Amino acid sequence: MPSAPDTEKDRAPDATGGAPVVSVREVRHSYGRGADAVTALGPLSLEIPAGEFLVLVGPSGCGKSTLLRLIAGFEHATEGAVEVFGERPEPGSRAGIVFQQPRLFPWRTVGDNIGLALRYAGVPRAERARRTAELLERVGLADTAGRRTWQISGGQQQRVAIARALAGGKRLLLLDEPFAALDALTRERLQEDLRTVSAETGTTSVFVTHSVDEAVFLGTRAIVLTDRPGTVALDLPIDLPRTGADPDELRGLPAYAALRAEIGTAVRNAAR
Amino acid sequence: MPTSPSVRERTAEPSGPAGPVTPGPPGADGGDRRRRPERAALLRRIGLRVLALAVLLGLWQSVTALQLWSPVLVPSPAAVWRALLETSGTHDGVRGYQGHTLIEHLGISLRRIFVGAGAGVVAGLVAGVLMGTLPWVRVVLEPAVAFLRTLPPLAYFSLLIIWFGIDEAPKLWLLAIAAMPPVAVATASAVASAPTALVEAARAIGARRGQVVTSVVLPSALPEILVGVRLAFGIAYSSVVAAETVNGLPGIGGLIRDAQRYNQSDTVVLGLFAIGVSGLLIDAALRLLADRLAPWRSHT
Repeated sequence: MPSAPDTEKDRAPDATGGAPVVSVREVRHSYGRGADAVTALGPLSLEIPAGEFLVLVGPSGCGKSTLLRLIAGFEHATEGAVEVFGERPEPGSRAGIVFQQPRLFPWRTVGDNIGLALRYAGVPRAERARRTAELLERVGLADTAGRRTWQISGGQQQRVAIARALAGGKRLLLLDEPFAALDALTRERLQEDLRTVSAETGTTSVFVTHSVDEAVFLGTRAIVLTDRPGTVALDLPIDLPRTGADPDELRGLPAYAALRAEIGTAVRNAAR
Repeated sequence: MPTSPSVRERTAEPSGPAGPVTPGPPGADGGDRRRRPERAALLRRIGLRVLALAVLLGLWQSVTALQLWSPVLVPSPAAVWRALLETSGTHDGVRGYQGHTLIEHLGISLRRIFVGAGAGVVAGLVAGVLMGTLPWVRVVLEPAVAFLRTLPPLAYFSLLIIWFGIDEAPKLWLLAIAAMPPVAVATASAVASAPTALVEAARAIGARRGQVVTSVVLPSALPEILVGVRLAFGIAYSSVVAAETVNGLPGIGGLIRDAQRYNQSDTVVLGLFAIGVSGLLIDAALRLLADRLAPWRSHT
C-alpha cells in the first residue's frame, strides 16, 4: 500500500495536549427499563491515549460492541461518562466508523459513497474527486470509483467502507468486527493492510473482535471483557514491531505466541 | 393478459396493476454469454403471445360470422377496424368521432391523467414523507388516507361537480384524489422502514437529520415509491372513464359514453382497446423507469 501523505509534524502534538482521546469513566449501560432491564456493560473505566490501537476482545454478548457504540455516540451510557476529545460523543463528529457489514449506499457508485463522506466532512466540491481517488488508492482499490457497489466483492466493499471512514480525516477510528464476515484469505490481507495504514498514520483506533489472533496481530493494546455485563478482565500492552515486519515473521515470534496464549486464556475464562 | 414464466423472476416485486413482470435489462456485469439465451427466450415468448392474439382474433371473427348475436351487440373485428379507420380520419365530411380523431380523444384523456394523477402523485409523496418521518402526522393523516382509498372515485365525483362545475377542474381533481392514496401509503411505509444500518452509516459520516433523509431515507424508499406511482397511474387509468362521464367529449371515456348512447358497440370496443393498449404501454414505461432509477433493487 502506498505511504500516506501524513508527516510526523501533522500528527504530532494532539489538540488535547496529552489528554486521552477517549475516556470512559464508571460507565454502566443497560437495555430496557425497570424489571426487564438487562445490564450489558460495566461498571467499566478506561482511557485511550492518542496513537493507541486498542483491541477489545471477548465472547459474544460481552458488551464490546455496546462499548464501541457508546464511544461512537450512537447510544449514551445509562450511568457514568464517555468523552471523546473531551466532549460527549456524537456520531460523525470526532470519529470515523467501520461496521461489521460494509453498509455502503447501493444507490451511489463506489466513488460517490466516499464523495458523500467528503461532502459531509466539509471538503469543497472541487477537491472531492482527487481526494476520493487518493482514498481508494490507499485501500488498494484504484480505478473502482465508477463501479456499482454490488459489482465489487465483499472484501472490496469493506475496503471502501474503510476508505469512507478515513474520508472525514478524523483522528479516531472505530471498527466493529469489520472483517468477521469475510473469508479467511481476504481477512488476512485486510488485517495486514489495516495494520500498515494504522502504523503509517498513527490514527487512534478502537477495534472490536472475538478473534484472539486478530487482537494480537493488530493491537498495541488488548482489553479482554468478561461475559455480560462486560467488565475489564485483562488489560495488556502488545509490544510487537509496528513497521517493517513481515506478517508471517511476526506471527512466528515467540512473543506473539505468548501474547496469544495469555489473551486466549483470559477470553476462555471470561466466557465461563 | 397471458402470464408466462419470466426468465429471471423477481421475488420482491409486488404485482402492479398490469400483470406479469418481464425481465429488466441484464445487469452490466451480465455479459453476452447470459444475454443470448435470454433473448431467445424473449423472442419465443413474444411469438407465443402474437400467436395467442391471432387465435383470439380468429375466434372472435368466426363467432361473429356465425351471427349468433346481432352485430349491434357483438361487433366483428372488421367492424372495430372500420371504426378505427373512421375515427382516425375525415369521412363524409365528418372529422373523426364528434369532431376529434381517436388519437386526439386519447391524447386529451392522457393529458388529464398526467396532470391530474401527476398532481396526486406529488401530493402523495409529500404526505407520505411527512407521515413516514413525523409520527403525529401519521396519526392524523392515516385514517383520512385510508378512508379516501376505500371510496370509489365515481362516488365523490358528484361532489366535485357541485364544487367545480363540469369542465376540466372536476376531472383533474378526481384523478388527483384517486392517485394520491396509493403513493402516500407506499411512501409512508417505505420511509418509516428506512434501514437502520444505512441510517447509522450516514450519521457516522456526519449527516445531519435532513441529510439523512435525502441521502438514505428517500433513496432507499424509491423502489417502493415507484411501485406506488405505478399503482396510482393504474387507478387513474381505471378512473378516467368515470371522470369523463359528465361533459367528457373530447376524451376517450367521453367517446365510449357517447358511442354507448347510440349503440355503436364497435366504437365502444375500439375505445376499450385504446385505453387498454395505452395503459399497458405506460405501465411498461414506468417499469422501465423504475429499473433505470433504482438499479440496485435487483442486486441487494
